[in-house]
Amino acid sequence: MSQDDTSLDWVLALAPYRRDADYLETLLTQHGLAVRRAADQEDLAVRLDEGPGLIVATHEALRPEVIEVIRAHLREQPDWSEMPIIMLLDRAAPQTRIRAELNAAWPGSRLIYYQRPVATLDLVSGVQSAMLARLRQREVRDHIGREIELRRELNHRVKNILASVSSIFAMTRRGAVSLDDFAKDFSGRLTALANVHTAVFEMDGETLDLADIAALTFKPYRSEDQDRILTAGPKVALVREAATTLALCFHELATNALKYGALSRPEGKVRVDWSLAPNAGLKLSWTESGGPAVTAPERTGYGTRYLSAALRNLFGSPPDIAYDVGGLRLSVSGPLREPEGNAGSRHALDRNDG
Amino acid sequence: MTDNLQPLRIFYLEDNPLIVFHVEAMIEDLGHVFAGTADSFADLKRIFDAIEADGTLVDIDLADGRTGIAAAEWLGGKGMPVLFVTGQEGIAAEHSKLALGLVRKPVSARDLAAKLRLFRRE
Repeated sequence: MSQDDTSLDWVLALAPYRRDADYLETLLTQHGLAVRRAADQEDLAVRLDEGPGLIVATHEALRPEVIEVIRAHLREQPDWSEMPIIMLLDRAAPQTRIRAELNAAWPGSRLIYYQRPVATLDLVSGVQSAMLARLRQREVRDHIGREIELRRELNHRVKNILASVSSIFAMTRRGAVSLDDFAKDFSGRLTALANVHTAVFEMDGETLDLADIAALTFKPYRSEDQDRILTAGPKVALVREAATTLALCFHELATNALKYGALSRPEGKVRVDWSLAPNAGLKLSWTESGGPAVTAPERTGYGTRYLSAALRNLFGSPPDIAYDVGGLRLSVSGPLREPEGNAGSRHALDRNDG
Repeated sequence: MTDNLQPLRIFYLEDNPLIVFHVEAMIEDLGHVFAGTADSFADLKRIFDAIEADGTLVDIDLADGRTGIAAAEWLGGKGMPVLFVTGQEGIAAEHSKLALGLVRKPVSARDLAAKLRLFRRE
């Protein structure tokens, strides 16, 4: 059965006598309804597969084979569907018996009976109201479809977050020297992830501003005076994944600065600068000053390892990390991509000028 | 957990940097060599000629959309063996012919070690 967006909005006229079929087609077409015709049961099977909104059938169409084809079609219908079938019966026919038979033969349909000759306006308004009911069913169908899609998407995101948390756990554990250490680092990283998730969830569009990500991540480190982490740069719109990655990078840099770097001394400062260049994309730098004399670490810890992997993955080239005596410096640059860009060629850095 | 054979060089196509850096560490712990990473099919194509790898791990959802299947097929055409690494087991199963196997997420070192051995048969 084809259930595309154009289905269910046309009338299937089932009339073996050509004169009846012509009459129905003309009448309904005049009232703005699309009509397709079926003369025999082979036509009928093909038409039913095209997904009619409803069926208008004349008395003469009621042959056992035809009843069976419709019955088979109704059995295949999805839950949301209740096919309206308008029967035009002969006045002289045994109404009660025919109705009982059809009601039994076609469960899953909404049967509407008229006696011939039918007043034109009655028939048209009957068809129109059945069609409206049918279009509401189609809305239900579309709604169910969106629900299924959303559930899949949610499942995918939850899995992705669990995988992220699992990686954070394993990598934090690997570097931890004590359980307290581990608990503190793990909870700090989870909080950073949770904060950026909240920001992403609450954002209006699909992008977040780099300055907002910086403000959000540095907030815990700025409780007393605002001046210790200085940020400067133009508006840069980041897609969700890029925003998450940069928030986690800022978190690693800030905690490292607090433990060993500039933020471990009252007079120490950090500058975070970024700029946009037409061909180079985003350039981002982190510069510490006023902290204790810096030496390169003996082993590569979580922070350095994450910064290298994450920034390389995001920017396409690894960051430059310098352990200057005067303070740690990190810089990275490159184009960022949108998640569903055209063959990956679109830049993720939508400039928000204004 | 290292097997005493020549180390394998592994490239990783994945758009979640947290998973990349975790799997990179696992690959090194197993005695293999991490041969780099890209976050999209487009990026992979751009840098492919510079990649020296015995096999590539491929996620299905990447930074340029659900392009992992196309990437696996493209890599196959280049003679590069592929393992899917994904939470989308259903989609991976539908395209199982494109890969030697599937590593489920979250990735465990044991599963990864076992599946990486499949690259040796190539």
